[in-house]
Amino acid sequence: MANLENALMCKCDDKCGKVLINCTCDTSRETRKTLMGKLESGLTVDQIVQQYVDKYGETVLSAPTKTGFNLSAWIMPFVALAIGGFGVRKVIRSWVRPVSTGEDVKADGAEEEAPEAGHGKYSKRLQDELDRLES
Amino acid sequence: MNDIGEFALLLALATALYGIVSYVMAFRSNRVDVYMSADKTPIIVWACVMVSSIALWRAFMVDDFSLQYVAAYSNIELDFFYKFSSFWGGQKGSLLFWTLILTTYMMVVHVQNRKQNLRLVPIALAVMMVIALFFLLLLNFSTNPFERIPLPPADGRGLNPLLQNYWMVIHPPTLYLGYVGFTVPFAFATAALLTKNLDDGWIRLTRKWTLVSWFFLCLGNLFGAQWAYVELGWGGYWAWDPVENAAFMPLIVATAYLHSVMIQEKKDMMKVWNMSLVLLTFVMTIFGTFITRSGLIQSVHTFDEATLGYYFLGFLGVIIAFSVTMILLRLPLLKSKNELDSFLSRESSFLLNNLVLLGIAFATFWGTIFPIVSEAFRGVKITVGPPFYNQVNVPIGMVLLALIGIGPVIAWRKASWSNLKKNFTKPVLAGVVGGALLFPFVPLTDKSEIFTYITFILCIFVMTSMGIEFIKGTGARMAAHGESPVGALSGLVWKNKGRYGGYIVHLGVVMIFAGIAGSQSYSTDVEKHLNIGDRFQLRGYEFTYEKLLVKEQSSVKTRVIAQLGIERDGKRVWTGLPEKEFYKGQNQPVTEVDLISTLKEDVYMILADFNPETSAATIKVYVNPMVKWMWLGGWVIAFGTMICLWPDRLEARRRMERMKRQEAIFMPAQE
Repeated sequence: MANLENALMCKCDDKCGKVLINCTCDTSRETRKTLMGKLESGLTVDQIVQQYVDKYGETVLSAPTKTGFNLSAWIMPFVALAIGGFGVRKVIRSWVRPVSTGEDVKADGAEEEAPEAGHGKYSKRLQDELDRLES
Repeated sequence: MNDIGEFALLLALATALYGIVSYVMAFRSNRVDVYMSADKTPIIVWACVMVSSIALWRAFMVDDFSLQYVAAYSNIELDFFYKFSSFWGGQKGSLLFWTLILTTYMMVVHVQNRKQNLRLVPIALAVMMVIALFFLLLLNFSTNPFERIPLPPADGRGLNPLLQNYWMVIHPPTLYLGYVGFTVPFAFATAALLTKNLDDGWIRLTRKWTLVSWFFLCLGNLFGAQWAYVELGWGGYWAWDPVENAAFMPLIVATAYLHSVMIQEKKDMMKVWNMSLVLLTFVMTIFGTFITRSGLIQSVHTFDEATLGYYFLGFLGVIIAFSVTMILLRLPLLKSKNELDSFLSRESSFLLNNLVLLGIAFATFWGTIFPIVSEAFRGVKITVGPPFYNQVNVPIGMVLLALIGIGPVIAWRKASWSNLKKNFTKPVLAGVVGGALLFPFVPLTDKSEIFTYITFILCIFVMTSMGIEFIKGTGARMAAHGESPVGALSGLVWKNKGRYGGYIVHLGVVMIFAGIAGSQSYSTDVEKHLNIGDRFQLRGYEFTYEKLLVKEQSSVKTRVIAQLGIERDGKRVWTGLPEKEFYKGQNQPVTEVDLISTLKEDVYMILADFNPETSAATIKVYVNPMVKWMWLGGWVIAFGTMICLWPDRLEARRRMERMKRQEAIFMPAQE
């Protein structure tokens, strides 16, 4: 039942614009009773959904189908992300300076890789920074 | 008083027009006398809009139904509290409220910068005034809240019962404070583009404005979710409605900006990108307003009168065209020396964070406008509801969650593998151990539950990663200063407000993620048709339907309440009182849910239907796990943001020094 309520929009006269599972109006309660009856009569979720699409059109569905033109709704965000990801990779590559040695260079954001508490270098740097702040 | 209010709106319009012209003239001609004249206009415009607002509030308070707006959104019986909030309950008042906040911000910017930052402030104020002018034109000539009715009714129609909830008193102002707040960074960014002052001055000036606006928009979204949760009675808090999306998109774009701007502040990189994000954030706020007021996209929240959509569409078009043109024109000046030492660096992780955030914003935008796209291309209007957004945004959101844990502990400039290993071993280990411990207790029967399980593991990873940052810093301070753990922790946060305040905000975000995941996947519900004395069980709670009460609250409101006895382990723990409220002249009753809310779960009770003759009732009960985590997460975000915003002694000193250095009142644009 929850699958059906998630798949269909409420078709009340007020055009509430809510998914059936989110709607509390009188129409939605009647629709739920009808749907329950259909399920009990042995119809599958897909068959019931198709009946509603035949009656109201695609607008009764709470999400676009994953076929034809509607597929673009699902694909576009990921296409955009992939293009963006490619762009970001290219940008970072173009920004990265060639490193003179193959060795790992110690990050100068040393405060980010603070060793265990009380470790000399980090504590000294922290102390220096705090002294500067408090002066 | 109504005449004064109406006249004040006209005066504000004329003053704003004068202010724009005189600010621009003063800037171009470098004439101090014109500038001194323009300098008074922000306060005058604000004062006029304030007078107009007071006049409208007064009309609500004294039940002046000669005003069409008051007659449409109030009535004599309405509580004082809701008469106050009826001001923004409809199209006209909400536009006036928007203008009031905008002009208040304008006035604050003016007062803050009276004798400083004069390279940018006059033009920034002129830009803000152009935006105020647009709203004032609408208020004066299209949606005048002071429109009269020739024959006033004895009583008004009253406020929509759904809006008669305390969250609706708090939610719209909070949301508007956020929405409108982004006008300030937009105005300064535009001023920087127009005056060619494209150093980081505008960013410095708007840093706190952006954070404040982000904070209010974030809280506004959460308050709206809380309103939906307690008032709409469907057991949830977010339905990916177009108007909800409209408030969500600028928040996400602004979040991307707040992160990427750090790179410009630290390394003077990504100027074009940051400028674009600020402009896009503002564009998103106007796009949101367009959706709310156009009626083009079906939504629960749209205003009744949808005629304003075209004006907003035109305004949106002008802003986009102007912003794109200005960025293209200033491209040579916006070029920065972009250099990174390594692919593995915090800068890269921030770029990735921007990509993911904009991915979420784009997916939301695409879903919101897809019904229009479908109608344009196929002639078929379709609906894009929660199943779409949940399937698309949830996986992207999980990547974002992982980045929250990765970004802050990866080093600036260049992270070495040993650095990565050192910083990530413990969080990854914690995630793995946490996942193993959770495994026996979480169901993994479908995709949603698997996503939720991964989200919990990521939450543990991020929490550990953040926790280690606090522990390391506290330990270092304890060793350096000999402070107590509490003293060292508070000292650490206090001396690095931006950094640790930001971490606290991240902890709040993680709590929200956990709350969403838990409540979305493990919620359960039951609907029962009951006679008096009937009992039923759900998740260890035993409910007894005890009685049906009918209360005549007032001449316009009747409450029907179902009393439920709730027991757990044989002990009575609560008396549930879900109700329906009937308002005179309204077709649909309003559902008032009752809640038992704990950190573990919410027991959410709804009176779905009843028979007044037999006292039989249909009761629906949801058990929603971890919802409270979301609301608490919001307060943690608020706490973290407060720390970030707290005035910094050092920064104040620097500002004073900058002010002292400024000799001239006027500084012409860079050539």
